Amino acid sequence: MRSAVKGQPTSNELSEIGYFYTMHELSLAAEVIKLVESEAVKHNARSVDEITIEVGDFSGVQAEAFRSALEILSENSGIRDARINIERKKGKGICPACSQEFEMEQRIDRCPACGEFPSEIISGYEFRVVSLTIEND
Amino acid sequence: MCETCGCGNKNGFRIVDPGSGEFTHEHDHHGIHSHSHAHHHDDMNEHPHQDKIILNVDILAENNRIAALNRRFFEGRKVLCINMVSSPGSGKTTILEKSILELKKKRKIYVIEGDQQTTLDADRIKKTGVHAIQINTGSGCHLDARMVDAALQKLDIEAGSILFIENVGNLVCPAIFDLGEKERVLVMSVTEGEDKPLKYPAMFETSHLCIINKSDLLPHVDFNKDEFIKNALHINPHLEFIELSAKNGDGMNDWQEWIINKNPAS
Repeated sequence: MRSAVKGQPTSNELSEIGYFYTMHELSLAAEVIKLVESEAVKHNARSVDEITIEVGDFSGVQAEAFRSALEILSENSGIRDARINIERKKGKGICPACSQEFEMEQRIDRCPACGEFPSEIISGYEFRVVSLTIEND
Repeated sequence: MCETCGCGNKNGFRIVDPGSGEFTHEHDHHGIHSHSHAHHHDDMNEHPHQDKIILNVDILAENNRIAALNRRFFEGRKVLCINMVSSPGSGKTTILEKSILELKKKRKIYVIEGDQQTTLDADRIKKTGVHAIQINTGSGCHLDARMVDAALQKLDIEAGSILFIENVGNLVCPAIFDLGEKERVLVMSVTEGEDKPLKYPAMFETSHLCIINKSDLLPHVDFNKDEFIKNALHINPHLEFIELSAKNGDGMNDWQEWIINKNPAS
């Protein structure tokens, strides 16, 4: 068995990678490429230089796995030269007792002051393409 | 590479009707495949026309859009769609087999089975006498709304019926993919730990009902049920629980009653 291939995989290699990346990050990376390519066409871009993506800690997406899935898939796409910025968003909750915002490492974390579970999660579920930097003629 | 058409899209999946053996191969031929970069730019000063485009687009937007269409289809036909999720081996298929034998006396039942490979589960369900379709996800670890949409086109679902979707056994990925279901039912077995809600919060957070299966084993395992329920309610205060044993039938009536009460046809 071989680990995931970096560099310039052929389409046959990519299909093998699919079996190692038995996770949703791969299909989500394909969504991003589809989205970015259609935006690039819409804006008559000569190339895409940079893609910025936000991944929340509670989004269910593993940021590093997502990055490598995106790097591998983009090799065979129109965005292979783009720099990929992944911004991780920490979890944040609102305490029902003191109404203060507090940072959460894990979904089960409580307000450090009151010991209450959050009544609302205000950050951590983000999973979106924030922006693109493109090059025009 | 896709084995059927050789298009290089490894996201292809197969819909199999185990009765006829007929299968459909589904996937998008999407995107631009042109490579217009004639040269590489080493110097940033060569980029006088850079533009920043602000998008803020949810990456799951396309899945959510198709899920919304599926949901509207179900609502229009008054079909109750239940997405069954769990770890592998929790007993989803056995619960379905046994409940279908009773439920089919009251409602028309359809089943969409999701597994990476084989039609074993759909074959089991077909023996209960209802129509089952298998989705083979290939390398995929979850079902998505597009696969369900494709399977729906193979099932001519009657109004007022119940559709079960048995998702791929996995507590991680299926949590983030809406299929258009009305109810998400999480099957846990007492051989799993009471800390599961803490380890896999997203699945508990997005489910409506948690079945605690294999209750006949409770005297023999260390599963702390109260602690499990407490942990799950911290994540999702609205989660309902039904304890059952698909093996000896305990709790099966509660589960079937729960389903019939949710069926808009009733």
